[in-house]
Amino acid sequence: MFKFFSLSNTFIWIEKLTKFISSIFFILLLVALSFALILSPPDYLQGDSVRIMYVHVPAAWIGLASFSTIALLSLANFIFKIKNIKLITKSIAPIGLMFTCLAIVTGAIWGQPTWGTWWAWDARITSMLVLSLFYIGFILANKLIAQEDKADRVSSLIAIFGFINVPIIKYSVDWWNTLHQPASIKLTGTSTIHSSMLMPLFLMFFVLLLYCALIFLMKYKTEIIRIKKKNLERL
Amino acid sequence: MIQNLISMNGYGIFVWSSFAITFLACGVVYYKTYKTLKKYESEFAKEINELSREQKASVIENSKIASQVISSYSKTI
Amino acid sequence: MLQKKVKKRAYLLATLLLVSILAIFFILQTLNKNILYFKSPTDIQNDQEIHSKKKIRVGGMVKKNSLEIKEQEIKFVITDFKNELMISYSGTVPNLFSEEKGVVAEGKLQDKSFFIADRILAKHDENYMPPELQSIMNNNDK
Repeated sequence: MFKFFSLSNTFIWIEKLTKFISSIFFILLLVALSFALILSPPDYLQGDSVRIMYVHVPAAWIGLASFSTIALLSLANFIFKIKNIKLITKSIAPIGLMFTCLAIVTGAIWGQPTWGTWWAWDARITSMLVLSLFYIGFILANKLIAQEDKADRVSSLIAIFGFINVPIIKYSVDWWNTLHQPASIKLTGTSTIHSSMLMPLFLMFFVLLLYCALIFLMKYKTEIIRIKKKNLERL
Repeated sequence: MIQNLISMNGYGIFVWSSFAITFLACGVVYYKTYKTLKKYESEFAKEINELSREQKASVIENSKIASQVISSYSKTI
Repeated sequence: MLQKKVKKRAYLLATLLLVSILAIFFILQTLNKNILYFKSPTDIQNDQEIHSKKKIRVGGMVKKNSLEIKEQEIKFVITDFKNELMISYSGTVPNLFSEEKGVVAEGKLQDKSFFIADRILAKHDENYMPPELQSIMNNNDK
């Protein structure tokens, strides 16, 4: 069992997975883009600017999901001190930061024609900005603290405490008056997005998830090689 | 048809710029990650090649990762 | 089977987390008024003092048949279905601004029922659907 999870086995799995994902990636990307940009209908109110949603919403979801993953793994790492976990969280963080920033930027581009402003200090947008700051803190702690043990501890704590922000982001639109609209896709109950728009949304989400997987696998591979190199020097 | 696709009833600038920014950022991050990976791979392969013959043989025999990296590295040259 | 160290770390973290969640909860509670991006007409009615010099934001639904456009000036009534507020504004409005849709106005309160706005933001709702569907729904309403 443990042998299955050993670094060299993971390494071979990474190679296989990367090959598989990159073989289907571009076809799926083309399908998703043609649905998002051409085949899906415009909105009755927003017109064609609704298409920005197809990158904005998946980006925000990925930003939130990767931070939650990092926080959970950091919790396990902080308590049980498992070395491999650090490799995973370090590999996820840059992707999460990028998508959080993309969600903020595309949101601003959508806000200009829809709301009439690029930016508003409302609860949803501000809490999203705070999330990106936690990401930056996590990445910087790993980069700047030379002592590995200490870097581990500090970055884990940043991720764990930053997780308090995640439910605040989720429920900010329900708890306070915000300019941002409430959630359209609910965990329970029906979604208020028409199915002809939901389909391209989930397609784009899936494609961007595959992209994340590709980047994650490459980064993970880099980290493994880094460790092996260190071991080699000790020889 | 194509005119309509580009202008998107006046929302073209917003829609296309947000898609462009997203995919540009994704592309740049992909390229950078790929570059770093290749850099580490080549450094790793070089270091193995610099070892003495017996050490090199034992490293390659004992570590699947080392042999994988070496083979993929020699392919790219 | 858990080691002592592991247990200690878990307890420490749990206490710290609990304390910080409580702290954040109370901070958000006290800041509640400031976090609100806009006030509703009811909030304005209940608010005892009116700082007519201070810029505030009010928001609600544009009341049906209340929109009046006279040359430069736009007048309309916003409502939260309990209280109403008259708004006067001159300038361009966002595309999505229309009757029976959400709106946020930034400006100064003159008295409890009159507000002069210098910026209008449209608030979008959570419904997304193609135009054909909307016209079908409108026909059903009639």
